[in-house]
Parts: sequence; structure tokens; C-alpha cells
Amino acid sequence: MSEWVVEVRNLNKYFGRHHVLKDITLRVRFGEVVSIIGASGSGKSTLLRCLNGLEPIQSGEIFIDGVCITANGVNLSRVRQSIGMIFQSFNLFPHMTALENITLAPQKVKKIPRVEAERVALELLRKVGLEEKAHAYPAQLSGGQKQRVAIARSLAMNPKVMMFDEPTSALDPETVKDVLDVMKELAREGMTMIVVTHEMGFAREVSDRVVHLDDGRIVEEGPPEEIFYRPKHPRTREFLSKVINI
Amino acid sequence: MSFDLSALYRALPSLLVGATVTLRITSLSIALGLCIGIVAGLCRVWPNPVLRALSGVYIEIIRGTPLLVQIFLVYFGLPALGINLDPFVAGVIAMGINSGAYVGEIVRGGIESIARGQMEAALSLGMTWHQAMYYVILPQAFVRILPPLGNEFIALLKDSSLVSTIAIAELTRTGQIIITRTFKSFEIWSGVALFYFLMTYVISRIVRFSEERLRYSE
Repeated sequence: MSEWVVEVRNLNKYFGRHHVLKDITLRVRFGEVVSIIGASGSGKSTLLRCLNGLEPIQSGEIFIDGVCITANGVNLSRVRQSIGMIFQSFNLFPHMTALENITLAPQKVKKIPRVEAERVALELLRKVGLEEKAHAYPAQLSGGQKQRVAIARSLAMNPKVMMFDEPTSALDPETVKDVLDVMKELAREGMTMIVVTHEMGFAREVSDRVVHLDDGRIVEEGPPEEIFYRPKHPRTREFLSKVINI
Repeated sequence: MSFDLSALYRALPSLLVGATVTLRITSLSIALGLCIGIVAGLCRVWPNPVLRALSGVYIEIIRGTPLLVQIFLVYFGLPALGINLDPFVAGVIAMGINSGAYVGEIVRGGIESIARGQMEAALSLGMTWHQAMYYVILPQAFVRILPPLGNEFIALLKDSSLVSTIAIAELTRTGQIIITRTFKSFEIWSGVALFYFLMTYVISRIVRFSEERLRYSE
């Protein structure tokens, strides 16, 4: 088993003729929390979507826990079971209760009996502070609650890495904190996390490493104190001066 | 000018018989059209490009030609290949194949109206495309498919008047026959229209009712 849970080698991605990801090389260790920051349109979300095979890539290799997901004939569904994916727009299933959202994949994909899947789901709902919402439909939940259910839904598959695609960008300010608290708790428990975020406070406080993506290229990466307080690359300095006042 | 109500009254029993034939041929056509249409609609979004293309061709051809011509092809054309069909059977087959194309487009539209994020979330949880379709997309699409499906049923019921041309004594044909005897065009066609309206009204109420039931459960 490799020490890297995610390994990206020389990834290139185009949308038509537009070169959106340029020669990305990135490694993430087990238990590491990596934040990806950068301006809108810099390719952060696309990179994340490539990592679980939602977007095809044109060249390069991606390994998830040692399995090359860019090889021909790879069983993507199997690989995705070990990757939790949290979307900006939650993407809860609106025709199912919170509990059903969480238990669907464990039952249908992992063939876990319903009673056992529900026991785990309730435990996860307790963990994200929403035990009493088990039988609520997504339409009855606030944005922050939806995102926490989505996190519980991903955790139910027992993933090796959790990826977050701007998890708080679509939320009302007052519900952001609950979601960030859940994410901090996960980080403390040693979950490997890759977080695309505009929450600079979160990136600084929780990350082991911060990656700055600029125009499809990784221009700088390092521990948060270096990126935020002593950025080397002029583009990073420029970006940070726009988004924070330290 | 006068409206001879008694002529219409005398025609009612015959028109009622004609209306039941219309209902029978329409409901059988709907059943056939639903079977074909669900398969065609699913094929339109299936990952397999051959299936997608085949159902695309079927839908285009059927929607690009008149139902009347399709009815004639099945009833008058197929005997050239040694296939002789009873008018009623020919009518059901022609209307079923015709409706299947429209239902197929409705099914495709319903599936594609479900946000892409739903499929992506399901795939991200490790589900296969088929599992995601079955457990996540189709249950949501069904609710959206219902109203346009109701419209299609109503259109089909009205279009069933076209099978009067292949000597099926449904509602329109029955009206024509009565008029050749009585010459009461205005009265009888009014009666025929009333019967069509009553039937389409009932269908639209049923669809509306089931739509509301489904909304509550969402």
C-alpha cells in the first residue's frame, strides 16, 4: 500500500480548446488536510471533479489509494466508494428523507442490511448534530443542515478520503459555522481531506497544507503559515491581498 | 335555423357505443405507446450510442410523418407483405407506435430535467449508472413526466378519430353513419364533440388528481 491516498501526475485537462488544468502534480498523504485556494475559474473545482472521475482528463495519471483511475477499464464505481464527495449545491436526493439519503448507497452498493445501515446512519446524523432530522425531507432543511446530511451520506460509505467542493459557498452566513465545525471535527479525527474553499480562516486553521491554483497551474503550495504570511509567488501575494486582510 | 334536440337524443345510444369503442382503442394504444415510449425514452439517455441512435431515428421518423399516413401504411400497406390485420388491431398498432415516439420524448425530457448534480452525487457514492438511474433519477423524473403524459393521452384520444377512415365504428365514424341517415349534421357533430370533451375532461381530472397525490408525498 502506498503512503499517498491521492497521487496526481502531470494532469492536463481541456474543455474544448481551453486548457483548464496545466500539468498538475499533487500528492496527499493519509490523514492530511489539503486546502485548494484560488480565484474563480482557476480550475479548483474541475481538479476535484477529475479526482473522482466525474471529468475525463486528456493526459496524466491519477491514483487513488494506489489504484490508477485513469487506466482503461478501471472500475470507477468501486474507486468512488472510497472517495467521499461534497458538492457546493449539496445534491441531496429530494424524494428521500435524510435517513434514506444516507442509507441508500450502503444498502445498494455495499449490500449492507437495512437495519445495520440505519443504525450507522443515525450514528452519523448524531455526529453532524441532526439526529432529530432523520425523517425530514431535504426541502424541510436549511442549507447548512442539507450540507451536514450530505457529509453524513458520504461518511456512510466509509471513505478513505473526503473531497469538498466549496462546501459553504451556497450557504447563508449563519449556517456556515455548523458545517465548518463538522469538517474540523473530521479533520481532528484524522480523516484525509481535500477542500476547495474560499474560507481562508478555515484553510489557515485546519489545513496541513495549502495549494494555490492560478489559471490552471499550481503556483505555490506549503504549510498555511507560509502561504498566508510569507507567500513567495507574486500571484499568490496578489490573490491573498484581494481576499483577506491579515 | 333550428337545433333538433330530439334527433341528438335519439342518436345518443349509438354515439355511446361509438364512444366506448373510442375508449377501448385509445386505452389499448396508450398501453402500447407507454411500453414503447418508456423503452425509447430510456434508450435516448442510455450510455450505449447505438441504442441512442436507433431510438432517435424511430422518434424522428414517427414525429415527422402524419398519423393518418401511418394508419394507412399499417392497414393498407402491410397486406403487400402478406400481413393482413383486422382494422381494430391495425388502428391500435399504428396509434401505439405513433404515441410511443411522443411518450419517448416526454420520458427523455423528464429524465434530462433532473439536475445533473443528482446523477453525479449518486455516482460519487459508488453507484453504477444503472443504480443511479433506477433509485435516484427515475423516481424524480416520474413526477415531472406525469403532466405532459396526460396531455399526450388527451391528444391521442382526439386523434383516434382518424381510425374512422379504416372503417372502425368509433365515435366519429358512428356520427358520420348517423348523419348519412338523418342529415342532422349540426346536432350529431355537436353530440360527437360533447362525448369527446367528456372523455378528455375525465382524463385530465385523473391526471391532475394523481399529480397532486404525488406532490404531497414529495
